[in-house]
Amino acid sequence: MQGTQRTDVIVIGAGASGAAVAWRFAEAGVDVTVLERGGWTPPAASQSANWEWVLQTERHPDPAIRKAAADYPVTTDATPIRPALFCGVGGSTLRWGAHFPRFHPSDFRTRSLDGVGRDWPVGYDDLAPYYDLNDTIMGVSGLAGDPANPPRTARAMPPLPLCPATTRLAGAFDRLGWHWWPSDSAINSTAQPLGKRGACNHCGPCGLGCPTGARASTDLTYWPLALKKGVRLETGAQVAAIETDRDGRAIAVTYLDADMALQHLEADLIIVAANGMGTPRLLLASRSMAHPEGIGNARDQVGRHLMHHPTAIVTGLFDEPIGMPVGAFACALYSQEFYESDVADRDAVRGYQLQGLRGQGPLGTALGGYARRIPWGSRHHAAFEANFGHGASLTVTVEDLPDPDNRVSLDERTVDAASVPAAALSYRLGTNERRLLDHGIGRAREVMDEAGARDIVVTPLSRQAGFHFLGTCAMGEDPETSVTDRYGRVHGVPGLAIVDGSTFPSSGGVNPTPTLQANALRIADHLLGRIALSPTTEDETL
Amino acid sequence: MSLDLLPTVLDRLLPGDDELGWPSASDIELPRKALKLAAERDATGALETLLAKLPGDFATLEEAGQVAALEALEGADPDGFATLILYAYGAYYTDAGVRCVVEARTGYPARPPQPKGYALPPFDESLLATVRQRAPFWRKVEG
Ligand SMILES: Cc1cc2nc3c(=O)[nH]c(=O)nc-3n(C[C@H](O)[C@H](O)[C@H](O)COP(=O)(O)OP(=O)(O)OC[C@H]3O[C@@H](n4cnc5c(N)ncnc54)[C@H](O)[C@@H]3O)c2cc1C
Repeated sequence: MQGTQRTDVIVIGAGASGAAVAWRFAEAGVDVTVLERGGWTPPAASQSANWEWVLQTERHPDPAIRKAAADYPVTTDATPIRPALFCGVGGSTLRWGAHFPRFHPSDFRTRSLDGVGRDWPVGYDDLAPYYDLNDTIMGVSGLAGDPANPPRTARAMPPLPLCPATTRLAGAFDRLGWHWWPSDSAINSTAQPLGKRGACNHCGPCGLGCPTGARASTDLTYWPLALKKGVRLETGAQVAAIETDRDGRAIAVTYLDADMALQHLEADLIIVAANGMGTPRLLLASRSMAHPEGIGNARDQVGRHLMHHPTAIVTGLFDEPIGMPVGAFACALYSQEFYESDVADRDAVRGYQLQGLRGQGPLGTALGGYARRIPWGSRHHAAFEANFGHGASLTVTVEDLPDPDNRVSLDERTVDAASVPAAALSYRLGTNERRLLDHGIGRAREVMDEAGARDIVVTPLSRQAGFHFLGTCAMGEDPETSVTDRYGRVHGVPGLAIVDGSTFPSSGGVNPTPTLQANALRIADHLLGRIALSPTTEDETL
Repeated sequence: MSLDLLPTVLDRLLPGDDELGWPSASDIELPRKALKLAAERDATGALETLLAKLPGDFATLEEAGQVAALEALEGADPDGFATLILYAYGAYYTDAGVRCVVEARTGYPARPPQPKGYALPPFDESLLATVRQRAPFWRKVEG
């Protein structure tokens, strides 16, 4: 052990939620240190000739394929869904699609309304001002007025453009009498006068990072503000354990620094923002006399109720070349026609979102992309021409109900450099989720038919779609069935709070990041003892 | 050494198409490029192990026999074969010459997506005329 230092607040993880909470604390004058196992990740590859190879390898969302030094081991024998995440300053937003929807009010009340899942101890109205604040910092393109959602403030920038493929889908939704709306996107459609971030130039592979700065990863949004406010960010810092005193209060963390030296940092408050997989992993690994089953795990709740949003993909192939890989790949339009519960319609509770995806590059298409791998051999080249640039896809993203047997636990057989065991994922697709997926596949097929597809390819459960890790340290009023209270404070462990998606009691049926960031800001304000949201000053926008 | 079979194997996977203008694997030195990508990711051994499963007389078989042997290998070891495809397609579709053919055949530029990006017309709000006629239909709840 090299030494002991002190700070007011430690935040573990510099991703979507960690960056937000660190900024909020620093803005209030608190001394914050953020420990992040990854580093800064420049967005260079989209300018290089081999950009598609980089996307398949060092920028791959699956750590087992990427094999980056910053990653931690994950065991996936017991899940059909592979993990998708990124470690670095910006966290998984370094790799994300930046589709930026909000939960619906009903998502917070699934138990009361539909008799399934768990109600949140807070509601949509509690989060609404924080959604707005987060939108201001991240920068959102879109359009208010969607009839599928509660009214929201005018979006700062107009929606990103549709491309020929997504325009085709929009027309099909209209003719079927189904809802669609242009996506709220955390991507600048216009350059920001006050900031340094430029406008999207529709290059396509957002996952490589964004040289114009249009796509909002938190290294470009929250981090410059947080650093200006004095947050101390230590990269290459792998937190190994949260430590407690004899009474069980969280007082410090132990971590391996970038030089592989063991460090000890004390704080009044420790906030975990390590992602819904990394957070339970760290809590379970933090065993002590006071917390022999892992910190916060006296009732065996940590890591349980893992929710992913199981995803199907339906791709239409068209005779005409309408699907070139041009435009933000995940941000164009969505349909929430089937979002709210309607058991009679789909023989399942709750619902799902259909989200338009634009085409993939030549290599991505050849390897299968959202459809099927182009066959090798004499038919390869003609088949490539018939597929590349001819596809449009819809994802079916369904609400995942919390199941205690779906979980993150530890696999002691493999450890990282800091001797923390691997995260082990166990996940089984539930009957309700399968029914929702099948219903959504049927509706997406109808859209493709209506749009004029000559061939439709269905991926009934996308394997590489573990983008969302939710529910593994859920908020709740009852310590028997939850890990934190409504303010993210871990039951029975003073001095410890959680702000990432692990706190979600239910998953909704949309991409979760705006909600988890808004929730992190809400929790921060409570922990700071603030009553109401204070306005943001102009120089802090974008 | 089973890797000696790689040039033949790659020509069976990506034989080219003179009519459409696509080069074959050997036209663009694909074996060297694929092996370079594999070496960077410590995958040379995996390729070697896979190719060692081909019949001993693979090199002397007729083209149709080689295709049949590869089909059998794909059926017997789909994961290993997927690795071969990854490096074969990976090297092929990142080759500058092949990207020019992609551009010529499909119109998708051979240059990288950045720094120039691509042009798209702004979002056209008139497309929303139909959906805007709908009344709000999200479910209202208390709190
Ligand atoms: C390919 C892809 C596409 C996506 N697209 C979308 C989308 O379009 N819309 C959307 O809403 N969401 C999307 N997501 C999900 C989104 O990125 C996550 O929901 C969000 O980033 C989660 O935020 P977080 O703060 O919980 O975790 P993260 O952003 O993942 O950050 C966690 C950080 O904690 C660090 N960490 C973990 N353990 C430790 C430790 N022991 N010590 C120190 N540091 C640690 C990690 O290195 C990481 O940087 C996507 C994700 C991926 C991978």
